[in-house]
Amino acid sequence: MLLPQHNYLQPASLNECLMALQDAGEFGQIVAGGTDVIFNMRLKLFRPKTVVSIRRLTELMQVEELPDGSLRIGAACRLTDLAENPIINDRFPAFSESIRSVASTHIRNMATLGGNICLQTRCWFTNNSQQWRQGKESCFKTDGDICHVIKSSEKKCHAINNSDTPVALIALNAELTIQKSGAKRVLPIADFFNDDGIEFMKLCPDELVTHVTIPPCNDRLIFSKYAARKGIDFSIGSIAARCNGEGEQTDKVSLILGSLSTAPIKLTKAAEIIQTKGLTDGAIEQAADTVRGDLGEVTNLYSRAVYKKQIARVLVKRTLTHLKNM
Amino acid sequence: MAKQQISLTVNGDLYELLVSDQQTLLDIIRTEIGLTGTKRGCTTGACGVCTVHNADGEAVLSCLTHALEWDQESITTIEGLESDGELDAIQKAFVEYHALQCGFCTPGVVMSAKAVINKYPEPTEEQINAGMAGVLCRCTGHIKVKEAIRNTHKIRARDGVKGA
Amino acid sequence: MPDSRKGGEIRQVSRGVTTPDVDTAMPDPEIQQRQKAMELSAIGKRQPRLDGPEKVSGRSLFTDDVQLPGMLYGKILRSRHAHAKILKIDASKALALPGVKAFITGDDSEKVFANQYEPAISKGVTHYIGEEIAAIAAIDEVTAEQAIELIDVEYEPLPAVTDLRKALRPSAPRINPYHDGNVASHNIDNYGDPDQAFEEADLIFEDKLATHPTHNLYSEFHVVLVDWSFPDKLTMYTPTQSGYLFQKKLSEAFGLTDSQIRIVHLNTGGAFTGRGLLRPHHYIAALLSRKTRRPVKIFSAGDEEFLTCRAGGDNDYVVRTAITNDGVIKGFEIEGIMDCGAHAAGLSYLSAMAGNYQARLFKIKGLRFNRKCVITNQRPNFFHHGGMMTGLNAAIMQQLNRAAQQIGQDPIDMFLANAAEQGFTDIVGGTFASCGLKECLEKVRDRSGWKNKYGKLPPYHGIGVAIGSMASGVKGAFKHDTSAAMVKVAEDGIVTLYTGIPDMGQGTHTTMAIITAEVLGCDAEDIRLVAGDTETTPLDVGAFTQRGTFTTGNAVRIAATDARDQIAKVAAERLGVTPDQLVFRDRKIMVNSDRNRNMGFGEAAYACLHSREGRFVMGNGFYNSPLKYGTLAWSFGAQVAEVTVDPETGEVQLTRITVAHDLGRAINPLAVEGQIDGQIFSGMSQTLYEECETDNGQFLNPSRLEYKMPRTYEMPQVEYIIVESVDPYGPFGAKEVGEGPIVVTVGAIAAAVSNAVGAFMPEIPMSPWRVLRVIHQNGDGSGSD
Repeated sequence: MLLPQHNYLQPASLNECLMALQDAGEFGQIVAGGTDVIFNMRLKLFRPKTVVSIRRLTELMQVEELPDGSLRIGAACRLTDLAENPIINDRFPAFSESIRSVASTHIRNMATLGGNICLQTRCWFTNNSQQWRQGKESCFKTDGDICHVIKSSEKKCHAINNSDTPVALIALNAELTIQKSGAKRVLPIADFFNDDGIEFMKLCPDELVTHVTIPPCNDRLIFSKYAARKGIDFSIGSIAARCNGEGEQTDKVSLILGSLSTAPIKLTKAAEIIQTKGLTDGAIEQAADTVRGDLGEVTNLYSRAVYKKQIARVLVKRTLTHLKNM
Repeated sequence: MAKQQISLTVNGDLYELLVSDQQTLLDIIRTEIGLTGTKRGCTTGACGVCTVHNADGEAVLSCLTHALEWDQESITTIEGLESDGELDAIQKAFVEYHALQCGFCTPGVVMSAKAVINKYPEPTEEQINAGMAGVLCRCTGHIKVKEAIRNTHKIRARDGVKGA
Repeated sequence: MPDSRKGGEIRQVSRGVTTPDVDTAMPDPEIQQRQKAMELSAIGKRQPRLDGPEKVSGRSLFTDDVQLPGMLYGKILRSRHAHAKILKIDASKALALPGVKAFITGDDSEKVFANQYEPAISKGVTHYIGEEIAAIAAIDEVTAEQAIELIDVEYEPLPAVTDLRKALRPSAPRINPYHDGNVASHNIDNYGDPDQAFEEADLIFEDKLATHPTHNLYSEFHVVLVDWSFPDKLTMYTPTQSGYLFQKKLSEAFGLTDSQIRIVHLNTGGAFTGRGLLRPHHYIAALLSRKTRRPVKIFSAGDEEFLTCRAGGDNDYVVRTAITNDGVIKGFEIEGIMDCGAHAAGLSYLSAMAGNYQARLFKIKGLRFNRKCVITNQRPNFFHHGGMMTGLNAAIMQQLNRAAQQIGQDPIDMFLANAAEQGFTDIVGGTFASCGLKECLEKVRDRSGWKNKYGKLPPYHGIGVAIGSMASGVKGAFKHDTSAAMVKVAEDGIVTLYTGIPDMGQGTHTTMAIITAEVLGCDAEDIRLVAGDTETTPLDVGAFTQRGTFTTGNAVRIAATDARDQIAKVAAERLGVTPDQLVFRDRKIMVNSDRNRNMGFGEAAYACLHSREGRFVMGNGFYNSPLKYGTLAWSFGAQVAEVTVDPETGEVQLTRITVAHDLGRAINPLAVEGQIDGQIFSGMSQTLYEECETDNGQFLNPSRLEYKMPRTYEMPQVEYIIVESVDPYGPFGAKEVGEGPIVVTVGAIAAAVSNAVGAFMPEIPMSPWRVLRVIHQNGDGSGSD
């Protein structure tokens, strides 16, 4: 089945790639594995004029331990390679778990870390074919004036950030290296996502996420994903939970929920409760009860909002209990 | 849009092909090269009927990748599993354990199973489940597919390894 | 089966007994004994599929693999509205696109109906989102797709009603001209004496169950290729359950004779009851081919697949069981409101079947099924794997498991006390010539360890039992239900079987080869098969109503026996005995009393041709049930399902399922297990996962990713028990295993979940969110209320 018309480029070096992105401007599209981009091109969700592949950029396919103990991962590394990487498995098992939970083996054999971080947001309206979408009014993301998933929304697109690895990376305080022709910047991944389904990430059309750097972490950390089926699905909800200390004792807690909103959500109230009271059963219940309030508007992405809120609560409760026993 | 020439090795044979930006790997396997064992299915990555192997014997979805990405590379399709005129052990296992019915998903399922065996000659239940969750087979409900994969090493021991 | 096609009118049908042309099926212990005592060689072996090597090596051709010279690609423009007038269709921009060869609308197909009330291309008005309103043929798929985007359609939206209950309100808009009040049919079927049954009951249980839209979701997408380049010959390549039925429908629609239509059905990538009917795309490809005089292929990509399918719709059931305090089941009363979608097609017949089957399981006094088929602005519905029996069984089996618990009985004991048996004449008037239902129940009880589990499980663990029955072929669609077969024996002794029955994966072709081999004393591998083309194979009504093994199997047995008799005549002369003294075995023809006196099978075939008579061996046979309608042979099954439910997420895991099926005789136990596997998967999927979610008539999840079906991780441990009651009418005693098990699977899982949660589960699929809702409302996981 042929793809819609476009120019496909396969630059041989990072410099060449950044120049190609600069030339393409807003009509360019990076393909970093293709499993999501090609899917969306078929749906005609976007119609890039130029598609720039990072498949030949071997310089972005390295995993290096830096002198300060950080781990620097090239954005073009395949998820399968990262999931099997002994250093990652050993030092950041929760991150490994988040990688293994992405889609299926087939997809992970093609998809890259950069591609997963920059995964297009999803919703039941936009993730259908163009002919299908014509059955309803156009939405904000498809140049219209409404949002189908949150009808009361005045401007904002409520498509979901459905990506798994960023949830773990945020908890790990990872940083992204972003490059464009002649410039480079570093941004904590926690600041990378916007609370908006269209402009969901802070990345200009001429920019490329080139590396992910994870600082050393000695805390307890867990990633967990809930999906309709094991082994293939997008998350209904995912969570990364991190804390220091041992047993019930902790004074530093971080809780990140994924796949429930336009961007990963940092649960501050729940974290505060645990920081103050420790990982006691009572505190865990209390923390779990605050989750609903922190979620904001939850969209119906193939699963009811009410149900997703319940799942969010269960994820928080179970991961905190797990942390306590780690 | 001008077509570009690529060199692609399929099942050990080198093809020089003129390929457009719009063609996926699946398109050229089926229409340019004429190997129709690899099937067209959902084209979204959820059914697995288009599965082929990359040079490392891993399962990839030929419907979700530009043909141009595969210049200078080597792939294996379902037609390439046999050696010396004999079915591969995984193919024999599928036949003997009744791991196929209607046969439409079978090429993709066999390639996915072979990828599991390439990595883990005697796979655990978890390795089978993880490797095969990306394919869909209503006929067999994956039950005898899993049985065939579990027993492939026995067939390999019985019949030996041909070729390679 | 009653079927009132007119809307509004309620037809009451009382049928105490059937009045068939010939006697009903009766037990025949003598034949049964003879069939049981048969010395079999090919039958009963674990025979790998004969097409296995072709299929695992990518050699098997499917419709999308066929390219014909000059072939064009068709693409369909589909309605964006659930209900609207079509004011104007402007294709001028599309036609200006280089490579576009033809454009058609309802004007080109006015008299062409895909089904009784369903136009191939709708004209003037559109009845559901996705309905066909125009089509393009172009030199390639991308051009056809671009052309479709360039067509301008002016609609005038009309009020739409997509909810079956709202469609019945007097104020509801009328959806099509054929059905007053949006009622396609309303029937009340009375079997036996339902009123008396409820009068005699001490307790009456009542529950409601709703089912939701589904898709058969076979592996091969809908695809068709038609070559109608010359007016007197239409060749169609398509996956199908019946080349014969397709031929008939097309000849009627296009004014050709049956023989001017050729259906080539190569391999069919699964059916699950979803490939029995022609769909609009079949007709559209034909119309485009006629117009362009070139072959035209249409492939239903992505979400189109969900609009093209005719699977289950929204159905609401109310189920009542009448029972005594000591567990005698007296009868059932069922009310059903069923969504036909925008065009009625056969749903009434299917619902009649479901009630009819349900009436036969137990020794009850009566059953009433009040069933109403409703027209809505939804995709037209037909049914999913297992028919309407699955939904009904989900309701009735849950209710019976709970009823037993309430009166303090073990459900299996209660089922055993009430179950039908061989020789029993049911309230529909049928008699079971063979019936292994009680044996199935006893065996699943023992194998599953039921006695140690039932009532003793921890919270949120559940166990449930269900039973079911299934006809092996139903006469009803035509006056005949004929399958024919031919067996050719070449002079080198190679046997070729010609059969018209499609193999959609169920393994019928291998089954037929085994039957041929059994009769001729060969191995299944010795049999070559010619199939999949109406031009080269004899007539076969097709793979419906589980008729393959029984009906086509009987035809093949008769044809092979004919060939054997021809050979036996010559062989008997050579061996100096009479033909009835011969045994065909191990590719030899032997004198039964002295098996050392024999000749080779090939030698005998050669001798036939080279005899004075010059006989070329061609065996012919056909089989048509002697009944006026209905079936001669029923299969029976019992299953025990075990589940765990996560009380916080509502997730259900089916951990183990024990399946016993009385299929008469297992022609090929390996394939029987395969059939059971597929039905466990599909039954589990229907009960726990599959659903087309809709929003005002539009499917929200029309993809293989979002239409959830289980994968590897979700599959349970399966225990198979094959029960062979050896039917006197079936070929070598065989009945069916094509759809009997799935009905039971759905019932057993539903009962197990209900047992785990401690409440009746009012909807299938039992998606986690629904299970959680029930847990929050009712259940405590104690396994009782």
